[in-house]
Amino acid sequence: MSKGVLATPKRGIRELGAEELVGWDEVTQGTILETFETEVDNVAHIRPEERPYSDFSSYTATVASWRVIKPVYNRDICIDCQHCWVWCPDTSIVSRDKQMLGIDYDHCKGCGVCVEVCPTNPKSLLMFAEAEEPEVALTKWPEKKKKEK
Amino acid sequence: MAEKMQLNEVEVWDGNLAAAQALRQAQVDVVAAYPITPSTPIVENYGYFVANGYVDGEYVMVESEHAAMSACVGAAAAGGRVATATSSQGFMLMIEVLYQASGMRVPLVLTVANRAVASPLNVRGDHGDMYAGRDSGWVQMDAFNAQEAYDLTLCAFKIGEDMRVRLPVMVHQDGFLTSHTAQNVHPLQDDEAYKFVGDYKPYEEMLDFSKPVTYGAQTEEDWHFEHKARQHKALFDSAAVIDEVFEEFKKLTGREYKRVESYMMEDAEVAIVALGTTVETARVAAEELRKEEGIKAGVVAPRVFRPFPFNEIRDALANVKAVAVLDRSAPMGAMGALFNEISAAMYTTPNRPLITNFIYGLGGRDFPVSEAKRIFKEQKAHADAGYITTPIQQFSGVRGPKLGFFETKRS
Amino acid sequence: MALRPIKNLKEFSTANERLEGAHLLCPGCAHSMIVRELMNATDDNLVIATNTGCLEVSTAVYPYTSWDTSWIHIGFENAASAISGAEAMYKARKRKGTLKDPDAPVKFVAFGGDGSTYDIGFQWLSGAIERGHDFTYICLDNEVYANTGGQRSSSTPVGASTTTAQAGRVSYGKKEKKKDIVAIMAAHGAPYVAQVAPNKWKIMAKVFQKALETEGPCFINTVSACTTEWKFDPKNTIEVTDLATDTLIFPIYEIVNGTELNILYRPKKVLPVEEYFAAQGRFKHLFKPENRHIIDQIQKDVNERWEYLQRREEARV
Ligand code: SF4
Ligand code: SF4
Repeated sequence: MSKGVLATPKRGIRELGAEELVGWDEVTQGTILETFETEVDNVAHIRPEERPYSDFSSYTATVASWRVIKPVYNRDICIDCQHCWVWCPDTSIVSRDKQMLGIDYDHCKGCGVCVEVCPTNPKSLLMFAEAEEPEVALTKWPEKKKKEK
Repeated sequence: MAEKMQLNEVEVWDGNLAAAQALRQAQVDVVAAYPITPSTPIVENYGYFVANGYVDGEYVMVESEHAAMSACVGAAAAGGRVATATSSQGFMLMIEVLYQASGMRVPLVLTVANRAVASPLNVRGDHGDMYAGRDSGWVQMDAFNAQEAYDLTLCAFKIGEDMRVRLPVMVHQDGFLTSHTAQNVHPLQDDEAYKFVGDYKPYEEMLDFSKPVTYGAQTEEDWHFEHKARQHKALFDSAAVIDEVFEEFKKLTGREYKRVESYMMEDAEVAIVALGTTVETARVAAEELRKEEGIKAGVVAPRVFRPFPFNEIRDALANVKAVAVLDRSAPMGAMGALFNEISAAMYTTPNRPLITNFIYGLGGRDFPVSEAKRIFKEQKAHADAGYITTPIQQFSGVRGPKLGFFETKRS
Repeated sequence: MALRPIKNLKEFSTANERLEGAHLLCPGCAHSMIVRELMNATDDNLVIATNTGCLEVSTAVYPYTSWDTSWIHIGFENAASAISGAEAMYKARKRKGTLKDPDAPVKFVAFGGDGSTYDIGFQWLSGAIERGHDFTYICLDNEVYANTGGQRSSSTPVGASTTTAQAGRVSYGKKEKKKDIVAIMAAHGAPYVAQVAPNKWKIMAKVFQKALETEGPCFINTVSACTTEWKFDPKNTIEVTDLATDTLIFPIYEIVNGTELNILYRPKKVLPVEEYFAAQGRFKHLFKPENRHIIDQIQKDVNERWEYLQRREEARV
């Protein structure tokens, strides 16, 4: 199954609930969770793929199993408007340097918002069955729709 | 920099002023509070210190006790020293957040001037509020007079903030009887007091941006129990640190505190177990009875109510024949809470003394030395008979027909 | 204070996100769109308090956190008090020189749903605003207790069906009007209050930045379309929000210092309210003949309210 763009060895490596259940002597004091393994110098200046996420960050978990349908991205039509980026509720549209790169399939829940807000014609994002390989999906892309009179 | 206050070797302070002075000397970073009788003067006195340059920290006057404790938790998670004060209804309003403070393992100090819990409304002292906090996961210490209110408040910071503890701490004193009664108090000078308490050591603080932390995560059935278990153990384990801090305090001041205080217990045959100002009443009664009637009476007082000093209680009462446990809180359909806990401890000893329960002093009803003596004598009668000759639970000092519950089952 | 560029979406999209995926919010939930946007609007460090609610139960379930910033949740009602305490601690420690990095810029933010903002946490919020702490409170207003399965709140609008204000044979749903939280907060004398919606991302980002920059307590009510309780397809979150703003059911405006009201968005074409209702299951029953008059009544109320806001804007009051 595709993990989408900019996957790292830490991203989405566990299903929620699949983590090891440790005993009372190993749970964190006060239920406190540290997001990172080591100190960071203003996380707003560090790209996600370069951050030292600890196992407690949900970055390391996946919700891919929530999806029945998934968005597929077609780079050829995309105008990098970033509508999909600003409205994705799950931080799953990966944009870097003003460019849309693709989808983080570890965290995308398949809501379809990105497809709805994509303004190109035809759309640069379309929903396909979860099992569909993105490369195959790209071969099934629709033609440009004629403006309705 | 905050002004220092020059204090006399002996000051005449009531319990509220004593507690406020301890907060000032500990250089608390944030006091967030809402006034309520009889603890109001704690925040008023502190307000005077703020207005006159004796405090560098923030003084946040919130709109309710619930908000006070909530702001305290937010402040404590932000990595500094925190304290507040309350009583009675205010305490009840705080209760939700008391559990959250201890669950998040944030150290902070709550000074409580104990007061009855409505309904009916009453501003006088009993232990209804203190008892309502007994499952909240806090360290609870009890001061029997103004000096102790001062001493224990200083100790409270040091105990709760210790890296081996990291739990919130309550310091209780009796409303009015202690909080509003001017007494001689031997304070430490500001520098000495602060040196004893020490600098605050942040842990998992929200203001260290190099290490973002999440406070207050949800836990469901697969995690909740482990967290509660860990917290429970931390509270029991705090006993050792409390002992250490008391020891250090004794070295500094000569004043000695123990998690269970015992008076005249070396040869005691009968004992009263009580909390608060009643301890001093019972001590006077025991002394007089020893002189007047030769009854070997003694007094045992849990200084630390939580963590409950199970072992120390067993040691303190190891050789007595009859014990009266006094509960200054309406138990409502049960035996008194202190009675239950003392009984449970003593049941696991070879001694198993005869233990009875007195409900007394509710809503500030006076508890005179004469009544304490009468109770001692009743214990003596049980001891001589070898069984409990009265109902196991009795109400002391209430008007109307004698009120008592349950007899000993004797075959 | 480091505000991030928001001139256009391309620039804005260079933000390094601080809300992680694999939180548990429903697919299509507007809450996380709003939270992401707030966090992306600044490069400053953030200390965030959150009331119990959908956002809280979805972003911090042990052993996971979705927050890359300092974050605290205490109870349902008290995020405003928690952030007050944290902000007070910051001031005290700054004065005493005990902060690890005293020059690190930081903003204090609290989130609450309408349940915790309009209802159970109302007093806590009011107190914190009155005390003047330097923080921004953001209400994620989905007009219902969504976290507990869709009960009415005092933000639920007239005519919506909820589990505790149900539409039925003799009921058209909630009968009481939605509380005007923006006016109430402005009446506190807060230096900046506003109502925004995520479909108008740029206005929302500007408002967030203005609130973060303003010293003192700021309050922002954000329309947060809820696919589950409003009953629409998750993919339509932005479309439904467009209908909310373009029917003027949710006017977008700000009030500065309690007096200066500015309308921030005027729809080119104002749509009839029934288009908004038709897009959501919670209003389905309003289209029954016996309930049509409720739609007419709401349309009248919306028109009057829009008139009122315009009059206030014009009169600078
Ligand atoms: S389908 Fe939804 S979650 Fe997935 S990328 Fe699109 S907007 Fe994000
Ligand atoms: S919304 Fe469509 S065109 Fe715009 S960046 Fe996303 S995929 Fe590209």
